[in-house]
Amino acid sequence: MTTGRISAGIMPIVSEGSVADAKIGVRLASRLPARTDDSDLRELTSLAVQGDRSAIESLLGELRPMVVRYCRARLGRVSGQYHIADDVAQEVCIAVLSALPRYRDMGRPFASFVFGIASHKVADALRSSVRSAVPTQDLPDGPDEGPGPEETVVRYIEVEHARRLLAKLPDNQRELLLLRVVSGLSAEETGNVLGMSPGAVRVAQHRALARLRQMAELESA
Amino acid sequence: MTPEEETDALLDALGRGEMTDAFDPAARLLAALLDDVSQWRSSVSMTPST
Repeated sequence: MTTGRISAGIMPIVSEGSVADAKIGVRLASRLPARTDDSDLRELTSLAVQGDRSAIESLLGELRPMVVRYCRARLGRVSGQYHIADDVAQEVCIAVLSALPRYRDMGRPFASFVFGIASHKVADALRSSVRSAVPTQDLPDGPDEGPGPEETVVRYIEVEHARRLLAKLPDNQRELLLLRVVSGLSAEETGNVLGMSPGAVRVAQHRALARLRQMAELESA
Repeated sequence: MTPEEETDALLDALGRGEMTDAFDPAARLLAALLDDVSQWRSSVSMTPST
């Protein structure tokens, strides 16, 4: 039975039930935890800047998954694995930790500060030749509970399709969509990372999505 | 709701892991990518401790 959850990973196959769910806009995925409220995050950041160990751990726990997803989306897989992207994400977290004592709240969301660093680290990684490294895949020490071969292939094809079409977008539009969807930043936060007003973000993201949709429809026609 | 506002709402929903329009090819592609980069490999070891 196919579900309509985003996390199902087999989006081309949608059952009638899930389509009905989609039409009424119910929550279809449960993998992404709800983000901490902005005011709570600001308070957490303030405590972390003062060196509160527990606040630092909580802050990293909040931001790390967003950073990992962003790095993975920007850098992709090497030999079927996300090792390099995950290493870069780790570098971002270390850089954020190092910069934390010098961070001053200037009214911008902390996530903007983090993704400013992440964007530079990813650009550095893309410029360097680290992608030529081919790490050896670890041998599993237990049963693989992941999707089966057929589902894996379907998922792989669709994700590669997404990457290929996103690569055809102008850099700014691609970055914008990744920050909004993969990192889960708001239009305001995305604008702070990219140096755009929230209004300009909303216009640009509309154009970017329309362009992506047009390319997808042309290929499936 | 303007088209720009609809897009904003759609991207907000996708960013939360919600699919509001399963027929939108762009939304499906972004959802597939989000799903792929959200796969965490289990670190649970099956080897019994001795």
